[in-house]
Amino acid sequence: MDFLLRVAGLEKRYGDVKAVQGVSFSVAPGEVLGLVGPNGAGKTSTLRCLAGILPPSAGRVVVAGYDLATDAVEAKRQLAFLPDEPRFFEYLTVWEHLNFTARLYGVEDWEERGRALLEEMELSGKEKSLPGELSRGMKQKLSIACGFLHSPRLILLDEPLTGLDPIGIRRMKASLRRRAEEGAALVLSSHLLPLVEELCHRLLVIAGGRAMALGSLDEIRARLSGPGAEQASLEDLFVRITSAAGGEKSSP
Amino acid sequence: MSFPGAVVFLWLASWRNRLRLQLQRLRRPRYLLGALVGLGYVYSIFLRRLDFSGPMGHVPPGVTLFAELSLMLSSLATVFSAWALGPDRPALTFTESEVVQLFPAPVARTSLLHYKLVKGWMGAALGALMATLFIGRLANPVPALFFAGSWLGLGTLYLHTTAASFTRTRLAARGWLGGLVRWGGVGLALMAVGLVAFRTLGTHPFPEQVGAPKDLWRWLEDFMAAPGPAAVLWPARLLVAPALARDVGSFVQALPPLLAMLGAHYLWLRVAEVPFEEAAVLRAESRTRERALRGGGRGRAGAITLRKAPFRLMARGRPEVALVWKNLIARKRMGGGVLALVAFLLAGGAVAAAMGDARLFTDTRRVVGPLALTAAVFLTVMGPSAFRMDLRMDMAKLDLLRALPLAGWQVVGAELAASALAVGGFQLGLLLVALGVGPGMDEAWLLEVWAPGLLSLACVLPAVSLAGLFVQNAAVVLFPAWVPADRGERARGIEALGQRLLTLVGSLVVTLVGLAPASLVGLVVGFPLWPSLDVWALPLAGAAAALVLVAEVGVGIALLGRAFEHLDVAEDRPE
Repeated sequence: MDFLLRVAGLEKRYGDVKAVQGVSFSVAPGEVLGLVGPNGAGKTSTLRCLAGILPPSAGRVVVAGYDLATDAVEAKRQLAFLPDEPRFFEYLTVWEHLNFTARLYGVEDWEERGRALLEEMELSGKEKSLPGELSRGMKQKLSIACGFLHSPRLILLDEPLTGLDPIGIRRMKASLRRRAEEGAALVLSSHLLPLVEELCHRLLVIAGGRAMALGSLDEIRARLSGPGAEQASLEDLFVRITSAAGGEKSSP
Repeated sequence: MSFPGAVVFLWLASWRNRLRLQLQRLRRPRYLLGALVGLGYVYSIFLRRLDFSGPMGHVPPGVTLFAELSLMLSSLATVFSAWALGPDRPALTFTESEVVQLFPAPVARTSLLHYKLVKGWMGAALGALMATLFIGRLANPVPALFFAGSWLGLGTLYLHTTAASFTRTRLAARGWLGGLVRWGGVGLALMAVGLVAFRTLGTHPFPEQVGAPKDLWRWLEDFMAAPGPAAVLWPARLLVAPALARDVGSFVQALPPLLAMLGAHYLWLRVAEVPFEEAAVLRAESRTRERALRGGGRGRAGAITLRKAPFRLMARGRPEVALVWKNLIARKRMGGGVLALVAFLLAGGAVAAAMGDARLFTDTRRVVGPLALTAAVFLTVMGPSAFRMDLRMDMAKLDLLRALPLAGWQVVGAELAASALAVGGFQLGLLLVALGVGPGMDEAWLLEVWAPGLLSLACVLPAVSLAGLFVQNAAVVLFPAWVPADRGERARGIEALGQRLLTLVGSLVVTLVGLAPASLVGLVVGFPLWPSLDVWALPLAGAAAALVLVAEVGVGIALLGRAFEHLDVAEDRPE
C-alpha cells in the first residue's frame, strides 16, 4: 500500500524533556487517523514535526514520497496544517490571504476555488475583512479555507472544531469526510472523543510522548483485556490506556 | 479585607513575585550578564545624573529657556488635547484583568475611581522622575524640588484630563447643544490665543536677521513677557512654578496656587463624575486586541488603514514574492518607519530653532538639500531599526512561516526584501531631492563633488542599510532568546535592558566588520581611477563597494536560511 504519510521513530526533545519518543505510524490515502491523548501528551509537538514546523530530534517523516528532512519544500507542498489557534497576517484581508496562499502553492485557479471555499465556509461577503474583524469561529474557517485552497494530499488538523458553531461543525465534518473520500489522508488531533470516533478510521493514542495504542477502535478494544473490554467506549479505552501510562513523564 | 487593603496586597504581591522571577532568571548566565550591563547603563545614564552637587557647567540660556517653554507648552498641549482630541468618553483605563477582577467585586465606583487616581499619580511620579533625570539639570539645580514640583504639576494635569473627559461625556449626552458648548469653548480659546499671538507679533515682530542664537531666544523672552502671551501662559506658569523654584523658599511660595488648582480639580472631578464602567470595558478589550496584534508580530499596534496592495500578485511565479508582497502591504497599512523619518525632520527643525538657527524659516531652499542628505544618511543608521517588516515582525508567526513550502533562504531573502526596498527607496528619494536642490552653499569644491558624491551614496547607502537589516534579522534567527522578535509583551527588567544593549553593540560590530571588505574594494577601485576621472571616480568606487556588500548579504542569506530551517524555539514554546 502507498502511504501518504510515513513516520518512523519520531522523537522530539525540548532540552531534557522528551515530548515525543519513538512514535511510528503510517496513514494511507483516504484514511483518517485520530491522534488522542491527555494534555501534554505530545500531540501538538507531533503535529508540528509532521508539518515541518519543528525539526524532529530523531526519526523520519515522509510525506507523499518526499522526506521532510531532505525534500522539505516538496513535502510541504503536499500538506496543510490547520493549528488549533489560527494565525494570520493581521494587515492582509481575507481575500488577500487566499491570494497569498495561491502564490505560495502556485494555485492558478485560486479565485474560483477561493470563492467556493468562502461559500462553503460561510465567509462570503467577508472578503475585505481583516482577521481582527473576524470572530474566533470565522478565523478558524478562514484558516481551513487557506489550508484547503491547494487541495492538499495530507491534512494535519489540531482541534479543528474549536470555535465553530453547530452548523459549522456539521459542515466541517462533512468537508473532512469528503476530502478523505477524494483521497486525502487526514491526521486529526482532538480531545472531542465523539468526533474522533465518528470520523477516524484508526486511532493513535499518545501518552507521555509514547504511542500507547495504534489501530481501529475494534482492534484496540480487542487488544485490551479485562472486564467489559468488548463493550468499552472510546472514552473508557482512553481512560484505561492513559491511566496505564500515568507513570510516564509527560512533556510540558 | 477592605478594598484598599486588597489593592495594597495586590501591588506588593505582584512586585514581590516579579522580583523573585527576575532573581530566578539571574541564575542563567545570559540574564546575569544582561543584568550587569543593564545596571552599568542605568548608572551611567540615569543615576549619575542625580549628582547635582558639582557645578552644573555651562548651559546656554537658550536651552534653559527652551526647557521652561517646553514644560509650559506641553502642559497647555495636554489641556488642549483633553478637550479637543479623542472620543467623548471617560478617560479611565483599566486592564482586562482589573475589569474582570475588580468590576464584579463589591466595590463602590468611587473606590474604583480613587484606585485609578492613585495609579495615575504613581505614573505621574515616574514621569516626574524621568523629567528630573533628563531635563531637571537644565531647569533647576535642586533635583528634589524639581521632582516634587513636576509630580504635583503632572498629577494636576492627570486630574484635568480625567475631569475633562467626564465633562465631555456629560456634554456629549446632551447632543448638539453639548457639542456646541464644548466646541464653542475650544474655538473661543483658540481664537483668543490666535488673536493674542497675532497682535503681539505686531508689537514684537520675528527678527528679520537672526545672526546669533541669543537673538532668537531674546526675542522669545520678550514675546512671552508681553501682556497677551503672559496672560495665556499664566495658568501654565502657575503649574510649573514649583518645579522651576530654585530654592525651598521660592518652592513654598509657588506651592499654594498649585495646591489650590489641585484641590479645585479634585472637586471638579468628583462633581463631574459619570459612570465609566462601560467605556473602561471597551477600552480594556481594545487594548487586549492591540496587544494580541503586537503578539501576532506587530511592533506597534494601532488602527490598520486598508490601503491598496502595492501590486497585483499573480498566482504564477516565484512563491517568495508573496512574502515581499505581504510585507509591502504591511508597510503601507501600518506606517512605521516613515513616522521615524518625519519625527527626525521635525526634531531637527526644532533643535535648530532652539539653538537659534532660523535659516529653516528664512532661507528654506538652502537648508533642504543638506537636510535631505542628512536624513538619507540618518536612515542608514536608524532605518534598519525603524523599518521592521521582516523576520522581526514575522518571527512571532514562526509556525506559519515554517509550514510554508519555501526553503529557508527563500524565506529569509524575501522577508529582508520589503524592508530593504522601503529604506532604499526613501534614501534614493531623499538623495534625489538633495541632488535637485543642491548643497545650499556656494563653495566651489562642494558644488563639484555634490553630484558624484550623491551618486556614490545612492549606491552605498541602500547597500549599507541592507547589511544593517541583515544583521538585525540574523540576530533574531541566530539568537532568538537574546533578541526577541516584536511580540506583545516586551521583556522587562534590568537584565532585558542589558541584553538589548549587548545585542545592539554586537549588531553594530558585525555591521562594521562586514563593511570592512566593501570599503577596501571601494578604495582599490576608486584610487586608480581618481587621476583620470577625478571626483567621478566616487560613483564607481561606491558601486564596487555596494556590490561587495550585496554579495556578502547574499552569502549571509544562504547561511541564515539554513539556520532558519533548523531554528528550534523550543525554549520559548515547548508544546
